[in-house]
Amino acid sequence: MNFFLLKNRIIGFCLIGLIIFFSCEEAAIPVKDDGIPMKLDTISFPVIKAMSYQVPPEMGRTDLLYFGNNDGYNFSYNLIKLDSSSVTAGTPFSFYNDSLIIVDSLKFSLRFDSDSIENNPEFQLRYFPDGGDSVFNELESNYINFDKSIASTFISTGQLESDTTDTNQTKVFLNFLLDSSIVNAFRDTNNTDFNRSFLVELKNEESESFIFHSSDKVGADGPQLKVYYRQFVSDSVVLDTTFRTYAAIEDLSIIIPPPISTDDSSYLSVGTAMGLKSIVLVDMVDWILDPRAIISSAELIFNFALDDTLQNYTVISYPIINEGDFLQFSSFDKDPYDEDFNYYTSTSIVKDKLKINHRKIATEIGHQKYNNYGFKLEPSISNDPFRTMLFYSIDSPDYFPVMRVIYVLP
Amino acid sequence: MSYRNIFISLLLLNYIHAQSVFNAYGLGLSKSGNYAATSGAGSIGLVPTFHPGVSLDNPATWPGLKFTYISGSYNSQSVSLDNRNNITYGNGLDKIQFVIPIQDRYAIGVALKLVNNHNSYFKTDSSTFDFQGKNLITNKEFRSGGGLLAGSFGISFPMNEKMGLGFSVDRLFGSSRDEHSLVLNDIHYRMFNIRTYSGTVMNLNFAGNFYNDNDLIVLAFARISMTGKAVSGTLYQFDLFEDRNDNYTYDPDDYPAIVNVDTIEVSDIYAPNSISFGLNAGFRNDLNIFGEFQIWNDEASSANYESIYTDQIGSKTHFGGGLVKFGNIGARAWQDKLTFRLGAFKDSYGLKYSGKTINENGITMGIGFKFAVTGNQLDFSYRTGSRSINGDYKELVKEFNIGLSLGDVWFLRRREKQ
Repeated sequence: MNFFLLKNRIIGFCLIGLIIFFSCEEAAIPVKDDGIPMKLDTISFPVIKAMSYQVPPEMGRTDLLYFGNNDGYNFSYNLIKLDSSSVTAGTPFSFYNDSLIIVDSLKFSLRFDSDSIENNPEFQLRYFPDGGDSVFNELESNYINFDKSIASTFISTGQLESDTTDTNQTKVFLNFLLDSSIVNAFRDTNNTDFNRSFLVELKNEESESFIFHSSDKVGADGPQLKVYYRQFVSDSVVLDTTFRTYAAIEDLSIIIPPPISTDDSSYLSVGTAMGLKSIVLVDMVDWILDPRAIISSAELIFNFALDDTLQNYTVISYPIINEGDFLQFSSFDKDPYDEDFNYYTSTSIVKDKLKINHRKIATEIGHQKYNNYGFKLEPSISNDPFRTMLFYSIDSPDYFPVMRVIYVLP
Repeated sequence: MSYRNIFISLLLLNYIHAQSVFNAYGLGLSKSGNYAATSGAGSIGLVPTFHPGVSLDNPATWPGLKFTYISGSYNSQSVSLDNRNNITYGNGLDKIQFVIPIQDRYAIGVALKLVNNHNSYFKTDSSTFDFQGKNLITNKEFRSGGGLLAGSFGISFPMNEKMGLGFSVDRLFGSSRDEHSLVLNDIHYRMFNIRTYSGTVMNLNFAGNFYNDNDLIVLAFARISMTGKAVSGTLYQFDLFEDRNDNYTYDPDDYPAIVNVDTIEVSDIYAPNSISFGLNAGFRNDLNIFGEFQIWNDEASSANYESIYTDQIGSKTHFGGGLVKFGNIGARAWQDKLTFRLGAFKDSYGLKYSGKTINENGITMGIGFKFAVTGNQLDFSYRTGSRSINGDYKELVKEFNIGLSLGDVWFLRRREKQ
């Protein structure tokens, strides 16, 4: 190789190595904030209308099922719907139409929320042989719109029983033994999507409450039906009895709340079992947000009105899509205010304040793209359904609700 | 082969130049010289600083080269604000160039060089205020980077025995980005702009020998630069977003869910024109004294600033002078092979809209060492100076340059080995 070329190549690559090992260090130059683009701005909007209202309790997503009476609540009965296929094996009820399958018995069970039995009343079970496809809706059925009379007469009674199979933990179950003929309704070949629903109630009025696991409780034992059967392999050979388990897919406590108190109607109130919700209207008329601005926060702020230390209570809020009636407290058979689920927010009360960040919808309102009918407040299913939260309303001189918007302008 | 390796490798390197307050005016400060030998003398590239009678930045002088050269120059710079403990460092490639002299009369060359530096980073002090019981702590930041590069092609040819012309075309290209952010309680609200650039500048260079006797040679140089096609480009303007994970880019974790980008065509935002003169007196002992003068104007009709400063550099005047003592490659003592350079300059930049002036003064020094029979040269330069704007910021600038030029023989038939 040419000596000069070799030497030049070495020198060239040494230079590259030198360049690569150089670095850059950058410190910001301090400048005064005079006329520098981007600006932080704030605006406060008053809540000009606010009202609570009551609807029938929506208990479909609660973790527990309630029976009896407690604090003025009457837990009338519970509705439970089973899955169409068994757990794990996925066996449908039509499986039992086979003449080689003999159903011996059925057992319907609910897990008691306590591991001990103090009072053991009698429960009774009904079903809906004439109910067709569906008899109730977990999210919509309530003590007003559900007609209990469509259920059959009771088909079984049961009481709490301790199960000591697990040596580490005693479980208590409410068991109903059912006649095998019940499965005939479920396997009805004329209706492939039969309602598969039960109604469970106390046989007699009780002054106390009895609480069971619902299908919504994570890691728990929801209601279930076990079908015990035998299968003939041939005319003379039959397999041992085995079973399939059908878990509940919907369950609902039908409860009648106590009468509304003065506090419930004068404050802004939310509570699941009371069926209390609130609506507020924020005066954002004529507000125009710069098209390139971004809202950092648009907090709808409520002050907690109870002298209580509260933790982990969560309130859900949405904009409503129709005009609200803010004149007086009202009770409705059905919630009259539809929500816009696109702007759902879930907020916990912190230090006695509820600060709901509605910046997405505030942006739309500020851009004049959305009609502001107001916001709805309702309790989250994660709360204790029997706690009612009260917030100061617009008549409070010091703790009135307000929306505070912080935004950044380019 | 080796030259090609070096060339490609250098192309892949990033430019990371030191930031400056003054880089935030329009496209920032323009470079006066792009090679270590030029910088060492504080020159704008007209007068000979590389080799007797030759400046690598002046195509009209290229026929004076005895070899084909590939050269590169690397720059390391520190900028500090006067009276503040605030220093930034940056470095990057200034230029790579390939020049082929032909028969001592002609030459052609190509180069890639840095034209502007747009790198700046500003921050305001934090301020705290109360919004109805909510404590808000906020400050602002501004960053910009990138700038213009030029891909240059030049040719030179003689007018007569004592005069030569050089013509070069600079294809301007590049991109810059700037980011405004407002920090609110440790959350950054960012807004980006990205610009791409494209334009052309044409340069006509002149070199002439006006006096020559045994004791003194007087050389005169001139350059006229004109915009061929004013710089235009595309501005990509991103909407403001909340950078929740503070990773400087918009991603699905940020707010809002959709960020729009406006694409805006921009035209006639940079149109540099200049006229420059230089005079060099060479003495018998290889000592040269030179002086240079330049008037530069940006004739663009459209404003080009997306910065914390709503102003841009519109003009520049340069005065400079210095000494160059060229080394002799044929000397026996190594110290006689050294080239020494010393210079001083004064640049005045005029702002287009406010009428304010940025003044830059500096002194420079440099040394060059020739080695090998093909005239390889290693050059170092150091420049120190200050920049200031009326009644406002004053910066202290220190710059170190290293340049390497490797020579080879082209268009010459080699002897075959016996």
